[in-house]
Amino acid sequence: MGNPLKLRDQLRLNDELFSKTGHMFGLERLVEKETDPGLYEAIWHILLSVCNTAWEVGCKVSASPVAAEGGDALWALHTPTGECICTSRGITAHVGLLASMIRKFIELGYEDVPGFRQGDIFENNDPHYGGIHMPDMDTAMPIFHHGKLIAWASSVTHVADAGAVLPGSINFMNPDCFSDGMPVSVERIGENDRYYPWYELRIKSRTRAPDWVLGDARGRLAGLITVREKLIETVDKYGLEFFEKASKEYIEDSRRYAVSRIRNQAVPGRVRKSQFKDLTMKGKNVLMPKQDVDLLSNVPMEMRIDGKANVSLSLAGASGSVPFGQNITPTALSSALLMGYSHVVGFDMFNSGPTYALTVDTPPAGSWCNPFPVDWFASTGMGWSSGIRWLSSLYEVTGRLYYMRGFVEEMSAGAATTMCAEWNGINQYGQYAVCLTLEQASNGSPARGISDGEPAAWCVYTANADFGNAEVMELYYPLLYLGRNMEPDSGGYGKFRGGLGHTTVWMVKNSPEMHYAAACAGAHSKITANHGMYGAYPTPGDRVAYAAGTNVRELIEQRKPLVHERGDDPEHPTLSRNVVADVMNNDVPVPAIIPEALHEYDLVINPTSGSQAMGDPIERDPGRVKEDLDRGLTRPWVAEHVHGVVARKDARGAWTIDADATERRRQGIRDARLRRGVPFRDWWRRECAEVAAGSNMNEAVKRMWRSSMQLSPGYAAELRAFWGLPADFEF
Amino acid sequence: MDGYDTYDVEDIRKLVDGELPWTTVQQMMKHGKDRDRFDKWVTILQGRVPWKETILLPLTPALFIVQKPGVRVVKCRCGHEFGDYRVNWKLSSLIYLRDTDDKISEVYRGYEKPDLAWTQLREYYCPGCGSQLEVEAVPRGCPPDFEFLPDLDTFYREWLGRPLPETVEFVDRTPQRIKEWSS
Repeated sequence: MGNPLKLRDQLRLNDELFSKTGHMFGLERLVEKETDPGLYEAIWHILLSVCNTAWEVGCKVSASPVAAEGGDALWALHTPTGECICTSRGITAHVGLLASMIRKFIELGYEDVPGFRQGDIFENNDPHYGGIHMPDMDTAMPIFHHGKLIAWASSVTHVADAGAVLPGSINFMNPDCFSDGMPVSVERIGENDRYYPWYELRIKSRTRAPDWVLGDARGRLAGLITVREKLIETVDKYGLEFFEKASKEYIEDSRRYAVSRIRNQAVPGRVRKSQFKDLTMKGKNVLMPKQDVDLLSNVPMEMRIDGKANVSLSLAGASGSVPFGQNITPTALSSALLMGYSHVVGFDMFNSGPTYALTVDTPPAGSWCNPFPVDWFASTGMGWSSGIRWLSSLYEVTGRLYYMRGFVEEMSAGAATTMCAEWNGINQYGQYAVCLTLEQASNGSPARGISDGEPAAWCVYTANADFGNAEVMELYYPLLYLGRNMEPDSGGYGKFRGGLGHTTVWMVKNSPEMHYAAACAGAHSKITANHGMYGAYPTPGDRVAYAAGTNVRELIEQRKPLVHERGDDPEHPTLSRNVVADVMNNDVPVPAIIPEALHEYDLVINPTSGSQAMGDPIERDPGRVKEDLDRGLTRPWVAEHVHGVVARKDARGAWTIDADATERRRQGIRDARLRRGVPFRDWWRRECAEVAAGSNMNEAVKRMWRSSMQLSPGYAAELRAFWGLPADFEF
Repeated sequence: MDGYDTYDVEDIRKLVDGELPWTTVQQMMKHGKDRDRFDKWVTILQGRVPWKETILLPLTPALFIVQKPGVRVVKCRCGHEFGDYRVNWKLSSLIYLRDTDDKISEVYRGYEKPDLAWTQLREYYCPGCGSQLEVEAVPRGCPPDFEFLPDLDTFYREWLGRPLPETVEFVDRTPQRIKEWSS
């Protein structure tokens, strides 16, 4: 017995019904929810449990520490036409990609050729057809019940090596798509619950860590089978009809939830937020001459909310694609947006529903967020890079809207940056290993409207913020963790600060030679994020430190102090104070590929950013400043000069606030602002001339403006008008 | 919808002032959202400002859109007014650029400092009280963000169900102000 409609016809009908009624699947009423709300809720939680069980099983079966220890994976359940019904914990940024992949199978006519059967396994990682980047292997399996396709199970794991031109999986260095790695382009890769041998052979010859990549493939498969078997049990127990109806209602319910939150917690109007993403590569070792360049990308967000609480987003002004892996497709960006949206707007039942509560205007063709119409060869090796910075704006933007309606408990400032550290070389077992660390999966969380963010407990791309146990990572990688410590003042400065990030100190051990790269998955080098929400100062840029050819072995033998953190003073880092080395650099802008091979007792200091702050720093409760001083989470000069808090330290190391002196100091800061502040119009007059002359603008800045203005004429016209530039002006 | 709208003004005040235990805040976050929060929020804020104009919308912790006779303006909590809410209020603020190493070093030190040929750190102050209202970190050439232009009439008429007495056009008047300055 088959479906009454071909899936492609069902897809078309779904689209028509949504267009006609504004409701998913044309569901103007949620009949199952109204009729039997208890069963409706119960089945939802059973399905959620099915997906989370698959996550547990899949991660356990997986081989790489990325999935097995960090849980950097996801399993989900979909309707026959691909809409996600519910998902496990894990890297939820992929839900939209998985849904669009299943839709792609149907649009390509796969229902007829090669056909769908129980036990089939399909996969895609090719961004030209809906993937995000090669290391994220998106896999799906149709689920049949008595011969009828009733659902799909899907999964993604981030594998340790993409088979790209350079080792690893955070492949920002790729100059074009031909260097992105091993493609699986919307393929059937197995049947009868087994992978085809040629699929496994491809992994063995085209990735650098085939045991881990294959092991993770088996993890995905184990989780998919778990979803299928558990779903069939559920359907047998509660009935197929209820499942089929309720699963559609869960999606429409979630869409309604997102819309109702906007209507109840936001305000109609227009929101604008500029954001930028830098990539400094000039003078560094690159793969092709065109990469010997410093780049700045324009990552603008405009959100419009109309009277019906429809949300639309625009990237007008986005600059052009780049000769690195920092481009992303609109499909992948929308998937990332769904995850961000689920964090701050539509999180009751996480599925495809919120996707249909908003629209994203097609980004400018040829931009970093829509490269293929102009540059089919563009690389998406680390597609998240600029997209993550765009998402960061979403948190602040919704935070501002929630503030206006008084929902201060739901507010957030901007996100942390995402810097991914990778190693490669020979591990302690004599095997070649590519080592993706997960330090970036535990950023601090954004400041809330009523409190500081939480330290090292949040991540922009996963709801499962987990950097894994250091001791377990040491079993996989030839590295010893000398430290994982809170990084003082890494959450920006404001009335409420972001949760702090942490700094990891690694020492190479039991390896003849290792190589390190601090890859760019959304980090900053020359700039800070544009997150001065309500007068706060943004978190500083990302910097790595390292020392090669060190005296650490002697220090250990002599029981002298080592290095466990960066230290409080950027001008006198602990590394410089405690260690002697042949090569030492405390200020390596990200992205950074350390040019030297690293050997036993060499060190890398790897900071992970905190999230952003909100509010005028001199309105911070002095009591909070004292707590941070006592715990070493802020530095005395910051307390005094940025927060205007006068405090002194007693002999036991405890800090005491001088309340009167603090109030005087803060008034002094306000008075100083009034003295030095310039009326905007006066500044604008001078700045118009400086902009026209291109004064003190790095070539990367000018290149970005040229590109943005070429790709978005309306944006260009606004920019020229604001600075009084002639209609034909170009930077 | 049972369980909604169960908070009184004092509950919301405690929430806003950070006086509720975190577990209580978490419960409020998990529960269905109260639909009359805005009115209670404005009631609290109206009681905290030293002026009498009606708050139409709290824009930021320091800035409000208020109703004055025949015009809606942005007003600081201190009383300073920035003019028509449809013009980016930053055009009526004081601005300060941290554009030298000395100036940026008051906020960031050593390797924390951004490159000033790549980005400008712009501080916007209230001319009345010296509050730091916003900070921007953007490259030269970036017009100041007009963070939010509300469609106030749609908000009051369609979302709150109580239209404002006069209707004004929902339009960004910032370009017009710049044009006036340019002529």
